[in-house]
Amino acid sequence: MALTGRVALLALLACAIPLFVPHGWVIAAIAGALVALGALDFALAGNVRRLVLHRTGDTTIRLGESGTVGLIVENPGRRRVRALVRDAWPPSAGVTPRTFEIDVPAGERRRAELRLAPTRRGDRSSVSVTIRSTGPLGLVARQLTRQAPWTVRVLPGFPSRRHLPAKLRRLRELTGQQVALIRGQGTEFDSLREYVAGDDVRSIDWRATARRGEVVVRTWRPERDRRIFLILDTGRTSAGRVGDIPRLDCSMDAALLLGALASRAGDRVDLLAYDRRVRARVEGVSRTDLLPSMVRAMAPLEPELIESDAAGMVATLLARSRQRSLVVLLTELNTAAMEEGLIPLLPRLTSRHLVMVAAVADPRVGEMAGARGDLAAVYDAASAERARGERRRLKAELREYGVEVVDAPPDEIAPALADAYLALKAQGRL
Amino acid sequence: MTATATDAPAPESAGQVAGRRFRRWRGIVAALFAVVLLAVVLAALRPPVTSGYLDPEDAGRDGSRALAEIVRQQGTPVEVVRSANAAASAARSTKLVVVVRSERLTEADLTVLANATGSVLLIAPTDAALARLAPGVERTGTAPDTGPAEDGCALGAAAGAVDFGESHVYRAAETGTACYLYEDYDPASSFFRLVRSEGAKTVTVAGSGRPFTNRHLTEEGAAALGLTLLSAQGGVVWLIPDLPSEDEITGDQSFMDLVPTSVWLFFLQGLVAVALAALWRARRLGPVVVERLPVAVRSAEAVEGRARLYRAAHARDRAALALREAARERLVPLLGLPRSAAADPARAAEVVPLAAARSGLDAPTAYWALYGPEPGDDGELLRLTDLLDELERRVR
Repeated sequence: MALTGRVALLALLACAIPLFVPHGWVIAAIAGALVALGALDFALAGNVRRLVLHRTGDTTIRLGESGTVGLIVENPGRRRVRALVRDAWPPSAGVTPRTFEIDVPAGERRRAELRLAPTRRGDRSSVSVTIRSTGPLGLVARQLTRQAPWTVRVLPGFPSRRHLPAKLRRLRELTGQQVALIRGQGTEFDSLREYVAGDDVRSIDWRATARRGEVVVRTWRPERDRRIFLILDTGRTSAGRVGDIPRLDCSMDAALLLGALASRAGDRVDLLAYDRRVRARVEGVSRTDLLPSMVRAMAPLEPELIESDAAGMVATLLARSRQRSLVVLLTELNTAAMEEGLIPLLPRLTSRHLVMVAAVADPRVGEMAGARGDLAAVYDAASAERARGERRRLKAELREYGVEVVDAPPDEIAPALADAYLALKAQGRL
Repeated sequence: MTATATDAPAPESAGQVAGRRFRRWRGIVAALFAVVLLAVVLAALRPPVTSGYLDPEDAGRDGSRALAEIVRQQGTPVEVVRSANAAASAARSTKLVVVVRSERLTEADLTVLANATGSVLLIAPTDAALARLAPGVERTGTAPDTGPAEDGCALGAAAGAVDFGESHVYRAAETGTACYLYEDYDPASSFFRLVRSEGAKTVTVAGSGRPFTNRHLTEEGAAALGLTLLSAQGGVVWLIPDLPSEDEITGDQSFMDLVPTSVWLFFLQGLVAVALAALWRARRLGPVVVERLPVAVRSAEAVEGRARLYRAAHARDRAALALREAARERLVPLLGLPRSAAADPARAAEVVPLAAARSGLDAPTAYWALYGPEPGDDGELLRLTDLLDELERRVR
């Protein structure tokens, strides 16, 4: 039950009546008339309880894009339903319009379209649908809040996918598919073919030439079917915002680009999100299904405000991958966390795997280091230089253990990680 | 969506918003201002009622001593009383009670006067005084100042035309006389400036005190009218009440008693309307949606916090150390030395001469910049920063 503004307006207009008929019963009569009109209107209003709600529309939306979700209102009752509807979603779902009007004749159904422009990654569920069905006089409404469940998974934006074509071109150069005359780099023997003018003479296979009587060259290609383990650290250090984006989201973006690239290069990619337990995992997925699986697994991940358990992470990893693989750890170069957590465990890890640590650097620290002018700026610069010095020492220490380190600001981390991967592939170190 | 809606509106400045609001409201503000101005002007133009108005002992312009003296000279004693009780006790059936400034009479005073004997002359009475003292006469309005009015009745025949100025007008009593009709309204109606009611006792009501004041008594017909009205065998009791004291008023009607029922009902109904409007606005369209938001911690917060701590503690030593180390880290590769040379103070002997040679600074300055002691004050710390920047720039 809800009143409309018309009731108040009628009551206000009725203020004039006692000025002409100054008797106490006039007030009671006006109230009685209003109640009677309201009761009549309420009785004639369309039945909300019997409405049937259905949903259609998108189930996944990429962050930064928008999608639509439909609400279908079916009216099996005998009276027409004219109603104001509020389809309530969490604010970060970015739903428009907030409320809308529907007019469903008896026995029919109407569809309303909602536009979702989410502002945050993760699952967004419809909270409730409130329907306020107004009577024919427009005085009183029947109101009911119902459930019409629907969940939209907001996927990571993957803005670095614009770098993918360039990195794939570089990959094709490595594999020798693109330009025939360049000797394919890599260490894995591919095939023998006839010498063509312009081929590198160092690649001539003299033994085969002697056997065949014509000049034959060897071709090479990079190794294939290597395993790559992407590990997302979802602990407290991943919650920090770099610019306006959590560090975790930057890491995800970099992981997605690397995953896309590595799967095209013929490597097998697995993903693990870990803080004190496994938050998400993608394992043994086919090459074509890799990217959608990764995106879907990453969507609901949130940074947890707990210290990551490096020992548990290493143990989980070692239990999962028997063969040698490239372990890419997307985390933050935090001295305290690293020295207590990961560094003592590195020998166990590097003895079996090639380890790469990718960290998002905060451009704000660089800005502060360059600050000059007054005393506050100089202290800012000193503090920033100290932070950078610690980071430098940590990177040097990690490199001593044979760990590859990629440290780049948020807009460069994804291509930098891809380049590091391509460099490893070109060197045949995978 | 229409084309106009898709056009991004240019954001308004605060000044533009204020200007738009001013343009929207200026009509209303101007009208209100005009109303206030008009009220002030009208109030200023109105002749003020002085303290001695119609006082038979006041010789001022608005007093009535002249009229009282004339009446005395005609042989009619004039007794001036200043309270209703005195007037009632002085009143006899042969006497005339003149009541002026009746706005000073309380309800109790009016009761006393109504029970007193003798005929009554009311000059410009209030509605309450009129209702209690002249039951047959009803006020019908106010006539504007139209100059001398013709008498048109026996009562005023002796005086002829008299200027009443702005005056109350009354309906004629059923038995009695009525004079000085205000004719600008419908002539058949009842807008008389002077009315006499002949009931149980004779009550005369004059709509204005103007003809009886010292200033206007010399005007045409005014004195004659005054003498006619104030002629009584037993004499005249002229009541000009003093201002009632606080405890006399207590028994009087309060403001609330004076508000008519219809107004109370109007407000009651208004209250109902407000309550209904409140119910209308208070009803939410569904519950409030809560959302668990992720924490927003800026990544550089620890670094910024440390900078503020340095500053609060004046940690020049730490700051200088960090700045020097960072500068050495950047310089050493430029000088062609291994990176390990940067962190090791023992290798200052290698770094400083090279840095001095490449930058053109002298060796002690370069040594102070790269390995010197803690700066003594804030100025020195600032100079150190500038020197390090300068050194680095020159080496590059």
